Amino acid sequence: METARKNGKSDDILLEVKGLKKHFPIQSGFLRRVTGYVKAVDGIDFYIKKGETLGLVGESGCGKSTTGRTILRLLDPTAGEIVFDDPNIGKVDLAKLKRSQLKQVRPNMQIIFQDPFSSLNPRLTVGQIVGEPLAIQGVASGQALKDRVAELLQEVGIRPENMTRYPHAFSGGQRQRIGIARALALNPKLIVCDEPVSALDVSIQAQVLNLLEDLQSKYDLTYLFVAHDLSVVEHISDRVAVMYVGYIVEMADTDSLYYHPKHPYTEALLAAIPKPDPRRRTRPVKLPGDVPSPANPPSGCYFHPRCRYAKDICKAERPPLRDIGNEHWVACHFAEELQLQGVTRLSEIPVIELPRRQAPAPAPTAATPA
Amino acid sequence: MTNAVTGAETSNVQIVSEDDVVRVQDLKLNFYTALGVVRALNGVSFNIPRGKVLGVVGESGCGKSQTGLSIMQLTTGRIEGGSILFREFNTGEAIDITRLEKNGPEMRHIRGNNISMIFQEPMTSLNPCYTVGNQIEEAILLHQTQDKAEARKRAVDILQKVGMPNPERIADSYPHQLSGGMRQRAMIAMALSCTPTLLIADEPTTALDVTTEAQILDLMRDLQNEIGTSIMFITHNMGVVAQMCDEVAVMYLGRIIERATIDDIFYDPKHPYTISLLRSIPRLGVARGEKLESIKGTVPDPYSTVTGCPFHPRCPAAIPGLCDAVMPDETFVAGSRTHTVRCHLYT
Repeated sequence: METARKNGKSDDILLEVKGLKKHFPIQSGFLRRVTGYVKAVDGIDFYIKKGETLGLVGESGCGKSTTGRTILRLLDPTAGEIVFDDPNIGKVDLAKLKRSQLKQVRPNMQIIFQDPFSSLNPRLTVGQIVGEPLAIQGVASGQALKDRVAELLQEVGIRPENMTRYPHAFSGGQRQRIGIARALALNPKLIVCDEPVSALDVSIQAQVLNLLEDLQSKYDLTYLFVAHDLSVVEHISDRVAVMYVGYIVEMADTDSLYYHPKHPYTEALLAAIPKPDPRRRTRPVKLPGDVPSPANPPSGCYFHPRCRYAKDICKAERPPLRDIGNEHWVACHFAEELQLQGVTRLSEIPVIELPRRQAPAPAPTAATPA
Repeated sequence: MTNAVTGAETSNVQIVSEDDVVRVQDLKLNFYTALGVVRALNGVSFNIPRGKVLGVVGESGCGKSQTGLSIMQLTTGRIEGGSILFREFNTGEAIDITRLEKNGPEMRHIRGNNISMIFQEPMTSLNPCYTVGNQIEEAILLHQTQDKAEARKRAVDILQKVGMPNPERIADSYPHQLSGGMRQRAMIAMALSCTPTLLIADEPTTALDVTTEAQILDLMRDLQNEIGTSIMFITHNMGVVAQMCDEVAVMYLGRIIERATIDDIFYDPKHPYTISLLRSIPRLGVARGEKLESIKGTVPDPYSTVTGCPFHPRCPAAIPGLCDAVMPDETFVAGSRTHTVRCHLYT
């Protein structure tokens, strides 16, 4: 892949990932000898512009969470570069930084985890959880720290009086808000949202998505939004990247990707979304077989055994991710020739207004039907 | 307004059909815990017609799973009121499941044979110590035939039917050797092995990826057409409901607050909760960059009791003095014989 720089000015780009690989060793036998590697992320390139949301979608095991964590160096990359434009030190390659140096960059990059139940320490109060990043970075202490924590909790819609309570006293949605407050504590530039709403109920999911959008415009945040729910990703993202077995197969702005997909896998993925419209029952595109194991991927294009458009070249050669115009990146030999089906807009379902009763309300007794 | 209310305070509207496989009436289920009583179901009534798919939707904690478990008599709570009439179609007799002993012979005969269930977690609901074939044969040997070779043959047949590529080999595999989608197929095979009259599917696709989910739904639709089983489909995904169900019951805090055909629920919903629920899901191509509508607040604590309509603290259309004091009755929507709603706006 050519670098992203030729498309946009390089100072627009907050994070650029080049050839990122993360391989996990498979150990077996008495001596725990390494007998192979799970190639969770196998050479991916992408970039995130300042202030945008890049959605990262794919099925479980495709390496999307590993990508998010490797970018923050929560996992050490096997190879590749992670160039982050830090507002204080300028562009740095995170993959090469030592721990002590990382600490300087970390305030600008934070993460929100998927599971609001296991990502908060049950032995710390909410105030301690949200205040921890501030204390570690030495930003504030004493009353100043308390004030900042109160302000953060207010920001995410938790009453500051609750600062002394423990996480178990909160519901899933509230805990996720606490996780968001913790991520915001140090005024970061980039937040990796690792499936932030998939553990939540629909009504709470909408609240959290709205909160994330509000915070983004207020603090000029950049999000890497990792999720498997394609409707949620469509709603929140400016651009979307689709991963398949450790590799990005398509990346484009949201509208192009959803309405004019260029990769057969994206087409199958979009066709599989259950559409909330009973008048439009769809049958999914048949995808034979299962997702291959990243420890033993097929030859050539990883998608070829399941792809209905596959030809001989697909078995032999892995297609590179290339720009086919307008920053639409695709890794498919036949991206230009294939006519693929995108999603249909579900705009016909009427938006139903809530009914309102005429005032004055009748007395309780009169309203009970006899 | 056609208020076909049938008297009494807990008046429940009957959608009468001779073709019902199951008719649940005024079901009440309580859990007695150290922290107090949890009223999981507060008078749930619905019916499932033969060969239809009823979707039960609602947020977590609304009692949708407990309704399914009550029908199977697998719940750990206490059923303290109401009845569950189950009609076995071959014999035509109606049995009140709540009167059967949990582990008695009648219940054991119904469970797994006439009514079977698919659970959410395909990982934890299969026994890791037995092969998939063994586990399917167990149900067949218990209910259908004594002949082991015959049971084996049927198990392989049903595995083939649910789209397993190599049914002989899969029958000899242990659950850990299969992927999530395959395990869920095995679960479906097990549930259908005795061609049940009613299948309760409790979030069968929630743990699966979207492409696998689409395949499983497709499979369930095909099998439903072929075998004619009625399905009670419990889910919180409105997209899945739209794709799968014929009728929908929307639950909130242990009550059904709206019941209608699938088309009415999506195109003419009445209850403010149903409307808010539909408006809070992100829809492809609609209102991007705009705010999603969310329901303010959260589902109340299960130990607390809410006076009046359980939804009134979160309801945007709540009428002060009425909704917070009086529990609305379930009534028919004007001009409909299939659409009921439990809301003061329509009484």
